[in-house]
Amino acid sequence: MLDASRQPEPLVRVEGLKMHFPIYTGLFRSHTGDVKAVDGVSFDILPGETLGLVGESGCGKSTVGRALLRLYEPTAGRVIIDGEDVAHLSAEKLRQKRPTMQMVFQDPQASLNPRMTLAGIIGEPLDEHTSMSRAEKTQRIYELMDQVGLNRRFANRYPHEFSGGQRQRIGIARALALNPKFIVCDEPIAALDVSIQAQVVNLLEDLQERLGLTYLFISHDLSMVRHLADRVAVMYLGRIAELSPSKDLYSRPLHPYAEALLSAVNEPDPELAARRNRIILKGDVPSPANPPQGCNFCTRCPRVFDLCRQVKPDLQEVEPGRFVACHLFSDKTTAGTTGVPEARIEHNQQGASK
Amino acid sequence: MKMRTALLGAAALVAFAPAAFAERGADGHVNVLYWQAPSTLNAYLSSGTKDVEVGSLVLEGLAGFNEKGEVIPRLVESIPTVENGGVSADLKQITWKLKPGLLWSDGTAVTSKDAKFTYEYCTHPDGGCAQAARYEGIASIETPDDLTVVINFTDPKPNPYTAFVGATSPILQAAQFANCLGAAASTCTEQNFKPIGTGPFKVVDFKVNDVVQLEANPNYRDPAKPAFATMTVKGGGDAQAAARAVMETGEFDYAWNTQINPEQQEQMAAGGKGVFLNGYGTLVERVEMNLTDPSPDLAEGERSTTKHPHPFLTDIRVRKALSMAIDRQTLVDIGYGKAGRATCNLVPAPELYASANTDCIAQDIEGAKALLDEAGWKDTDGDGIRDKDGKKLHILYQTSVNPVRQDFQAVIKSWWESIGVEVELKQVDASVFFGGDAGSPDTFQKFYADVEMYANNFDGTDPEPYLAQYLCDKIPGPDNQWQGENINRFCDPAYDALVKELSVTADMAKRGEIAKKLNEMLTKDSYVVVPLVDRGRLSAASNTLGGAVLNTWDSELWNASDWYRIK
Amino acid sequence: MLTYVLRRLFIAIPTLLLISVVIFFLVDLAPGSPASEIPLTVPPEVRAKILESLGVNAPFHVRYLLWLKQFFWVEPMYAIDYLFGTDYAQGAQRIISYSSRSPVFNIIIERLPQTLTVIGTAYAVAILIALPIGIYSAYRQYSWVDQLGTFVSMVGYSVPTFFTGVVLIVIFAVKLQWFPSIYDTTLRITDWGSLWKQIHQMILPVAVLGLYNAAEISRYTRSSMLENLSQDYVRTARAKGMSERVVVLKHVARNSMIPVVTIIALGLPGVFGGAIVTEQVFKINGIGAALIGAIHANDLPMVQTITFITAILIVTFNLIADILYGVLDPRIRYD
Repeated sequence: MLDASRQPEPLVRVEGLKMHFPIYTGLFRSHTGDVKAVDGVSFDILPGETLGLVGESGCGKSTVGRALLRLYEPTAGRVIIDGEDVAHLSAEKLRQKRPTMQMVFQDPQASLNPRMTLAGIIGEPLDEHTSMSRAEKTQRIYELMDQVGLNRRFANRYPHEFSGGQRQRIGIARALALNPKFIVCDEPIAALDVSIQAQVVNLLEDLQERLGLTYLFISHDLSMVRHLADRVAVMYLGRIAELSPSKDLYSRPLHPYAEALLSAVNEPDPELAARRNRIILKGDVPSPANPPQGCNFCTRCPRVFDLCRQVKPDLQEVEPGRFVACHLFSDKTTAGTTGVPEARIEHNQQGASK
Repeated sequence: MKMRTALLGAAALVAFAPAAFAERGADGHVNVLYWQAPSTLNAYLSSGTKDVEVGSLVLEGLAGFNEKGEVIPRLVESIPTVENGGVSADLKQITWKLKPGLLWSDGTAVTSKDAKFTYEYCTHPDGGCAQAARYEGIASIETPDDLTVVINFTDPKPNPYTAFVGATSPILQAAQFANCLGAAASTCTEQNFKPIGTGPFKVVDFKVNDVVQLEANPNYRDPAKPAFATMTVKGGGDAQAAARAVMETGEFDYAWNTQINPEQQEQMAAGGKGVFLNGYGTLVERVEMNLTDPSPDLAEGERSTTKHPHPFLTDIRVRKALSMAIDRQTLVDIGYGKAGRATCNLVPAPELYASANTDCIAQDIEGAKALLDEAGWKDTDGDGIRDKDGKKLHILYQTSVNPVRQDFQAVIKSWWESIGVEVELKQVDASVFFGGDAGSPDTFQKFYADVEMYANNFDGTDPEPYLAQYLCDKIPGPDNQWQGENINRFCDPAYDALVKELSVTADMAKRGEIAKKLNEMLTKDSYVVVPLVDRGRLSAASNTLGGAVLNTWDSELWNASDWYRIK
Repeated sequence: MLTYVLRRLFIAIPTLLLISVVIFFLVDLAPGSPASEIPLTVPPEVRAKILESLGVNAPFHVRYLLWLKQFFWVEPMYAIDYLFGTDYAQGAQRIISYSSRSPVFNIIIERLPQTLTVIGTAYAVAILIALPIGIYSAYRQYSWVDQLGTFVSMVGYSVPTFFTGVVLIVIFAVKLQWFPSIYDTTLRITDWGSLWKQIHQMILPVAVLGLYNAAEISRYTRSSMLENLSQDYVRTARAKGMSERVVVLKHVARNSMIPVVTIIALGLPGVFGGAIVTEQVFKINGIGAALIGAIHANDLPMVQTITFITAILIVTFNLIADILYGVLDPRIRYD
C-alpha cells in the first residue's frame, strides 16, 4: 500500500475496475455469458507521473483506458479522478468533468471526424465547455496548434489532408484544448511511422513537463514505455500481473509473464542481449469469455504449480513499490494489497462452466 | 305501416323525378368511370369503344340506334325509308332532312355542309380514318340546301344506315376541322380533344387517358336536357376497381364494362350501392376450325393455306363431335355469369337475324364419341387417344392470353380428352395475336393451329359485312399479307352466292331469312365456326342514377341526355 | 470540379445515344403491334391505312432517326416557342402517340403534376419517416424500437405495393369509407376545403408508397449509422464532453448521411417515372400509368420517349449523387 505520508495524494485511483461485455446469442438474444475484458484492476497514478500499461493485444489495456474515462460503462469498481468517482457520476456531471480528463487515440485518422475542419475539431470542446468569444476561441485554437507544432495556416483544412504524424498532433491539440490534468494515451504512436513516433513521444514528454500533465500511457511497444513511463503495469487477460517502477521491471521482472514479455524487447546493449534467454510462451491466450479457473496465466506459465490452477493470486507488494500477482511470491510478502480481495474465485468460475 | 308509407312516398318520388326536375343542369354533377380511359374524342381517329362512346356525349350522328337496335332520329326529323320516300326504290339514294334551327355547342348553325365535310374527312386517302367502312360504297354526297343531305351509293344499298348513323359515324363541325384533312388529322390535337358537337355535353377539359370534364351543352336541341350540369369521365385501373367504385364505395355513378367473374359480381352486388346493367349485342366467343393444314412440316408460305386441306378437320363429323363435347352453360358459369349466355349462333342478334338454332346447347359426350367412331377414329392402341391410319387425333388449340380464355381452354381440353382427342394448348399475347403482323407466326390470321378461340362482333345492326367475311376470296394467305377475314379458310360457292343475294335484297324479312341461313351454314350445318358464349355488356350504375339504359347497338352513353339524379 | 462535371456530361452523350438505340430496338423488337388495339370489326384495308398513317411501316433506322430529330430538335423548339411565344418550330412534326394521336410531350406534361405531387410527397414523407427511425434504430440497436423498425421495414420492403394498395382500399375505402379509392386529377386547390380534399385523396397512395420507400431508406440509414457509431471519432466526441444529442446528430448522423443522400438522389428519377403499380391501383393516371398503358397499346413513341427521359434522369441524378458525395465528404475530390 502506498503510504500517504511519503507520497502525495494520487490524481487517479482505480479500485477493482471490471469491464464485462455481455454476450447475447440465439434467436431471442438471451444473455449467455460475458467477455471479461477487464476483471478487477486496481492502481494509482500520482500527479505528474506517467504510468505505462503494457500487454499483448487483447489483454484489456485499451479497455482499461476507455473505462477509466467512462467511454465504456464499467461493470464494477471505482475510478476516482481528481477527487470524484468518474464511474458513478451522472451524465451531466460527467460531461462537466470531461475537461479534466482527456484521451489521445491510437488511430489519428479514424478518431477525427472527417467532415470537420481542424479548427472545428479543436474548437468544438471550447464551444461546449467555455463561454469564450469567437476571437478568444480562435486565439486559443492557434495557441494549441502552436503548442503541438502545427502551422496556423492549416486551421481550415480537413483531417484527410494531413499526414499521420500531423493528425496525431491534431488529436493531442484537441485533447489539450480544455487544460486537462489527466490524459490517457491509448497507443498514440502505434499507427505512426517509426520516424514520426519519436517526434510524437517527445511532444508528449515536452507537454507533460510544461503543463504538468499526468499520463496513462497504453502501449505494446515496451521500449517506448521504458523510455517514457515512471512506473509500468503489465496486463494479462484482463488482470494486472505486475506493477513496478520502470527501471526495476525492465532490469528484473518478477512475474513469469512479465519476464517472458520483456525477454522479447530489443536490448540496446549487445552484451546484455547476448546473455539474455528469450522465453517463448507456448499455447494461445485463453478467451476472456472463458478464463481459466485459477491464475489467468496458469495455462501458459513455465513455472506453474498446483495452487496456480485453483486460486487466483492477488496483486501484492512483494518488494517496496513492486506489486506482483503470483503464487511464487505470495509466501514472501507481508505487505497489503492493492488488488481486490473480493474479486476472486467465485466470479471467475462463472465463465468456466459455460 | 309508417315504413310502408315512406317507401311508397320514395317510390312515387322516383317515378316522378324526371318530370319534377325537367330543367337543364338541375341535377348537378355526374361521375362516370371508363377504366380504359379515352385517348381521343374523335371517333374517326380511334376505333376503340372507350373513345367512340365518350366522344358520343359530344359528337352525334344524324341518327342512332336504341337498345332494341332500331334506328332513331337524332339530328334529323325522321328516319328515311323506302316507304316514306327517303330511300329511293332502287336503294341507291338516301335523303336525310335535318331538323331546322340546330346549333353547334359554339352557337353556329348545323348545316348539311358539315355532313358532307365529315364524309370528305373520313374518306381522305391519307387520313387513316378508323371508321372508313361506314362510308364504303358511297358515290357522292349532295347538299341541295342547308338542311338536306343526299347520299348516292354506287350499288344498291339495302342497309343505307351506315354513314352518319350511330356513335361510330358522327358529324364533325366543318369549320373546326377544316384544316385537319388527310395527314394533318393527327396534328389537330385541340380539335380531336375538344370537338365542337351537337350532343348533350361539351368538353371543358380533356386529359389523355385520364379524365374528361364536360358541361351541359347550352345549345342542346332539347332545352330541358341534360339534367346534369356537369359530368366527369374518369379513366384508369381495371374492371374490378371500376365495379367497386360504383357498387361498393359509391364514388361513381356509372362504370363502363365492369366485366368481372361471376363470383365477384355477386360480392359487389352485395355492396348495395348500385346495380349491374347487362345487355346482349353481337359479340360471340367462338372456336374457329382451321380447314387447312397448319403442320409445321410444310414449307413456310404453305402452312395453313388452301394448298393443303386439313387432315381431319375437313371431316364434318370430327368438327361436330368437337362441338358436341362442349357444355356451353358451364362455360358461361365459369367465365361470365350475368354477362353471358350460351349460344349456337355466330349472329346472335338482332332478333331479325338471329337463328333459332339451339342444337348445340346440350352437351353430348356419348354422341360425340359415336360420331368419331363413325368417322373411323378409334383408339386402336389403347392409350386413350383416337387414331386413324397410324395418325393420332391431336389438336393444337390456341387463343390469346386472358384469364377467362385460359379457363375455357382448360375445361374444353378436358372435355375433348374425354372423347379421345389429344389437346395441346397454346396462348399468345393479345397484342401479338390480334396484332396482324405478317411477320409473326402467332397472329390469329395466320392460324398456325388446328383450332383457335377469340371473340368477334359486328358494328351496328346489319350482319351483312360480317357474314361476308366468310367469302372464298377473303381467305388470308401469303398473297394478301395474311390480311383476309375468312379465318377458317371456309369456301363454299353456295355460301358466296347467298351473300351476293343478301347484298341486293332490300326486304327486311327476306334479309333476315338469308342471314339466318348464312349463319347456319357456318354453324350447325358445317361446324366450321363453333360459337360458345354470347358475351353481353356488363356495366354498373349507382342506385341514385336514373335513366341509364344499356344499349349494345350504339354508344353505351347513347341516352346520357336522359340521365337524372334519383333523390 | 467544373471540369469533372463537364467531362461527365460529355461522356453522358454517347451513353445516352446508345441507351436510346437500345430502347428503340427493344421496344421495336418486342412482340405486338399497335394494330392489336384496332377492333376486329374494322376491315383489313382500313386497318392497313391506319397503320400507314401512323408511320409504323417505315424501316427501323428511318423511324429511329426521325424520333431522334424530333426529340432533340423539334420538341425543344416547341418548348422554346411555348415559353417565349416565338415560332421556330413552324409546325414541324412532333412526336405523336399512336393511341391518342396527340404529342407525347403534351401528355407527359399533363401527367407530370399528379405524379410529382403524389410520388414526390410519398418520397418526401418516406425520407421524413425513415431518417429518424433509421437513426434511432441504430442508436438503440436491438431495442424494441429497432426491432419494430426492422419488422416494419421488412414488411414494407417485401410486401408488394399492389397488395398493400388493394388491402388499404378494401379496408379504408370500401369498408370504412374514410378515403376515396380513386384519385381525382381534376381537383384544383383553391381554398382550405379543396386542399383538405387533395390531402385526403393522397393519404392512401402516399401511405403505400411511403412505407415502401421508407423501408429502404431507413435500412440504409440504420446500417450507415451503425457503421459510424463504432468509429473512433465518435468516442473522441464523447471524450470531448459533447452531449449525446450533439454526438449522435452532429457527428454520427452527418457522416452517416453521405451514403443515404446518394441513395435518395438515385431514387429521385423514380419520382418522375412514377410508380406504375401504385398509380394503377389508385387510378392516379400519372407518368407510370401512361407508360404501362402505352406498353399495353404498343404505343412505341410514348414508351420510347418516357423510358428515354427516365434514362436521362437516371444519368443526371447519378452525376448529381456523385457531386453531392463530393460536397458532403471533404475526403473526396474530383479533379
